[in-house]
Order: sequence, then C-alpha cells, then structure tokens
Amino acid sequence: MEILKIENLTVEINGNVILDKINLSINKGEIVAIVGPNGGGKTTLLKSCLGFIKPKKGEIAILSKSPKEAIKTGKIGYLPQKQDLNKENFLSALDVVLFGLINKKLSKKEKKEIALNALKQVGMDRFAYYPFSKLSGGQQQRVSIARVIVQKPEIVFFDEPSTGVDVVAQEGFYEFIKKLRDETGLTIVMVSHDIGVIGSFVDKVVGLNKYLHYLGDIRGFLQRDILEKLYGAEVKLLIHSPECVSCENFHLEFRK
Amino acid sequence: MMEMLSIPFVQKALIGGVVLSILLSLLSLFIVVKNWSFISVGISHATFGGLAIGLYLGINPTFTGFLFATFTGLLIGYISKNSNLKEDISIGILFSFSMAIGIIFIMKTSNYTSDLFTFLFGDILTITSLDIKLLICFTVFVGIYLFLFFNKLMFCCFDEEVAYTTGIKTNFYYYSLIVIIAIATVLSVKLVGVILASAMIILPASFASLFFWHYKKILIFGSLTSVVMIITGIFVSYYLDFPPGAFIVSLYSAVFMLGLFIKKVLLSR
Ligand SMILES: Nc1ncnc2c1ncn2[C@@H]1O[C@H](COP(=O)(O)OP(=O)(O)OP(=O)(O)O)[C@@H](O)[C@H]1O
Ligand SMILES: [Mg+2]
Repeated sequence: MEILKIENLTVEINGNVILDKINLSINKGEIVAIVGPNGGGKTTLLKSCLGFIKPKKGEIAILSKSPKEAIKTGKIGYLPQKQDLNKENFLSALDVVLFGLINKKLSKKEKKEIALNALKQVGMDRFAYYPFSKLSGGQQQRVSIARVIVQKPEIVFFDEPSTGVDVVAQEGFYEFIKKLRDETGLTIVMVSHDIGVIGSFVDKVVGLNKYLHYLGDIRGFLQRDILEKLYGAEVKLLIHSPECVSCENFHLEFRK
Repeated sequence: MMEMLSIPFVQKALIGGVVLSILLSLLSLFIVVKNWSFISVGISHATFGGLAIGLYLGINPTFTGFLFATFTGLLIGYISKNSNLKEDISIGILFSFSMAIGIIFIMKTSNYTSDLFTFLFGDILTITSLDIKLLICFTVFVGIYLFLFFNKLMFCCFDEEVAYTTGIKTNFYYYSLIVIIAIATVLSVKLVGVILASAMIILPASFASLFFWHYKKILIFGSLTSVVMIITGIFVSYYLDFPPGAFIVSLYSAVFMLGLFIKKVLLSR
C-alpha cells in the first residue's frame, strides 16, 4: 500500500531551486534512507512532506492526504535535524516523551507508564527525571526517538537520527529501528549519512542532490558511478562489518 | 503594622500586588523558556505611547494602552517568526518609535507631569477597585487558559515545528500567548510603570531557575518569591516613603544578584 507519493515536486527557496522534478513513492512498512551531500535538499524534502514548505510545483500525498491534512491525524512522527541542544526548557526527559502522547485520551498514569516503557526501549530509563537540556546530544536523540515511538505514528520522518549517537551505537540504533518496523509495520523515512552502515537495514535508498539521482536498493547505490554522480567527487567507502566484535556490547544495550 | 493594614489604599495595593505578582510569575516561565524578554521590553515601552495618546485624546488611557501593547506584541511576534530581520533591531526601532510618539503626545497634554510619572514609574498606592477587579478577572482567565493548554504551550516552547507535526495549532498558541503577555504588561504598568514592568515578568522564573530546573518548581518558587518581594516592597516603601515600584524592582533585582552570587560562589564549591 502506498503511504507517501511525491509527484513531479519542485521546491524553491528565495528563488533558488532546491529540489527539482522529484518523483518518489513509498509503501507502508518500508524503511527508506535519503542520502546525499550537504545542502542536497534532504531536509527540504522532509519539510515539504510535513507541510512546512509549500512546493512550487507538484503534489505530495501522505496517507492519501495533503501534508497539512495528514498532520492533523497525529499519525506522522518527526525527528528534526540536531536541535539547539543546550537550550534551557525546564523539562525532564520524561516530560519530553510525554509530548508524544499529548493528543491521546489516556489517564496521566497510563501515559506515564507508556512513556517510561519507551524510555526503557531506547536505554534511557535511568534518565527519566533528569533535565533534558543537560543530556548529551546522543542521549537527547534517544529521548526524542522515544517521543516519536509513543505517538504510534504510521509514518515517521527522521532527519539524521544517528547524529550524536556514537559510531559503535549506530548499528544498534538501526537494528532498533528495523525491529520497530517489523513489530509495528511502521514506515520509516530517514535522512542518513551512514551509507556504510545502513545497507542491511533499509529497503530503499534515495540518492538526492537537487534531483533524484538514484532510487533502488543499496547494492545498486554503492556503484562507483552512482556515488560519484551524487557526491561529485571521488568517494572512498568504509563498509562497517556486522561481525565487528567490539561493537557487540552496544548492540546489546540498544536491544534491551 | 495593624494600623497600616486597615488603611483602604494599602489594602488595595496589597491585594493588587499579590494578584499581579502571581499573574506575572505564571507568564514568566514562558518568557524565560522562549527567551522572550525582548518581547516584554518591547511591549511595555509601546504601552507608553498608547497611554499618552489616550490621555491626549481624552479616551481611557488603559484602553489605548491595550491597543498599542497588543498591536506591538503581535507585530513583534510576526516579525520574529517571519522575517530575517534581527529581532532586537526591529524591536529597538519599534519601541523607540512608540516611546517618541508617547513623549510628543504627553507634552501636548496640559498638566502632564503627574501622569508622566505614573506611567513611567507606576504607583501601586493609587490602584483602584476597578483596577483590582480587572486584574482578578484577567488572572482567573489566564489561570483557566493555562490549565487547559499548559502541556501544548510547553510543547510549542520546546519545539514549535515538532509540535506542529503532531497536529497542534502552534500559531494559535504563539499569538494567544503574546496577546496575554501584552495585556498583563498593561495591567502591571499601574503597579511599577512602563520602565520596570518587564523586570517583573522576567525576574520570577529567572530567579527560580537559579535553584530549580523543573518547570513545576519554577512556577511555585517564582510565584512565592514574587509575592514576598511585592508585599515587602509595599510595606517598606510605605514606612520609608520610597516610590514603591522602583523599590520593589530594586529589591527584587538585588535579591536576584544575591541569588546568583550564592549559586556561583557558595553552591558550586
Ligand atoms: N530557510 C532557508 N533559507 C534559504 N536557503 C535555504 C533554507 N533552507 C534550506 N536552504 C537551502 O537549501 C539547500 C538545501 O538545504 P537542506 O537543508 O535541505 O540540505 P540537506 O540535504 O538537509 O543538507 P545537510 O546534509 O547539511 O543537512 C541549501 O543550499 C540551503 O542553503
Ligand atoms: Mg539536513
């Protein structure tokens, strides 16, 4: 079933064409990685899907609705690109996760239980009553992911979710996302720079740099000519091995 | 002391002061979280222009003050949301403009000096029953508003874009909060005057945040401190014949600096 459909999308910001003639279709339950160079328009694409940016041309349909209408269903999760981390907000990690339940008709106690459980899933339950602004970047990212999970969305947009999550943790993180998809049928659209790592976790790769340069599986994407077309320069790739022994500890932590 | 409490205008000042300090402490949380101190400074100065024009035209100055404050608040809010112009620049221009207009009109009004001083520095001892009624009604309204929307407001303050994507009407909360802050500012002008009004809305949460980090404690501790400051201020200035508004703000600021000192020097050891 098609959950996101982008047709002939062109986006301009201040008269500059940022995205041009993008066509993309994503099915329910897919994990899709959007990759490309800095400034390639990845964030702009997500923001267009969320209704923040009005396209110059073309159509976007999420859950068969326009972005503005789709948002009102509360079925869309969003994790923005790294935020203003140390901004004082007087909230605990638990408060932040509870925001994900803001539209749900549940008792306070039920909400708290769900939120604490989600914090456990991302390995942050110890920090539930800790000030959010004092957490490290990676920890904040985990809490934000818990916030998205409790929302029980049908589709989520993650903008560089592994930012700040340490290198060893990345694989554990992607495994966690994949497990989430397997269990809930969630559709995941994420921007990522970890092209060496995401291979075994994603169904589709979108190579984006103003135009859609590539759409397909990871193996096809890792061809030299595609990478060079997308990134412009000669690219060296370091593929991360899942057998790496020292990474094992972390996997366990995130899987808990 | 007892004798002083039986004087009607002292009673009114105390009631008005306590209600106002609670109102401003509640709003203070949002001012600090959103880093909106510049908005409250802008609004309070703009109020001056409104008051002066009302006085000149012979309309109730509070009414024109409301209009000016609300309009300026919305304009500042709109500019900081939608324009690349730096906030402090647009606000600097806007409030100097409003102050300048205010000065022109007030000079053109005969017998201006007493009003000028009241506008600039406030006079809580002249607070009327009508002022108090307005203040109580508005505080109750704000209380209900916060009770209904508190979590959504905090979500918007935390991350407006994310809040928007969960279906929250972020613009409604953004602008309604600004209008409420504008009205609260006009009401506090009577107490401490245009120049000091913004201090009374910035200080409570700032002071509380020296010692607490969670919003619940900030709300409670901030309100308590504010109430104590205002009551102390009214008593002391009555006995020593100080201007109450100025005295309250100096006291509060001094206590804030003392708090900062205690925190930095004594607690960080
Ligand atoms: N608000 C804005 N005003 C002006 N230009 C913008 C704005 N937002 C994005 N752009 C421009 O659009 C282009 C794409 O930006 P975008 O943030 O979508 O890139 P990205 O692929 O997410 O990059 P990164 O990997 O660095 O996050 C950039 O050239 C950027 O300068
Ligand atoms: Mg980006």
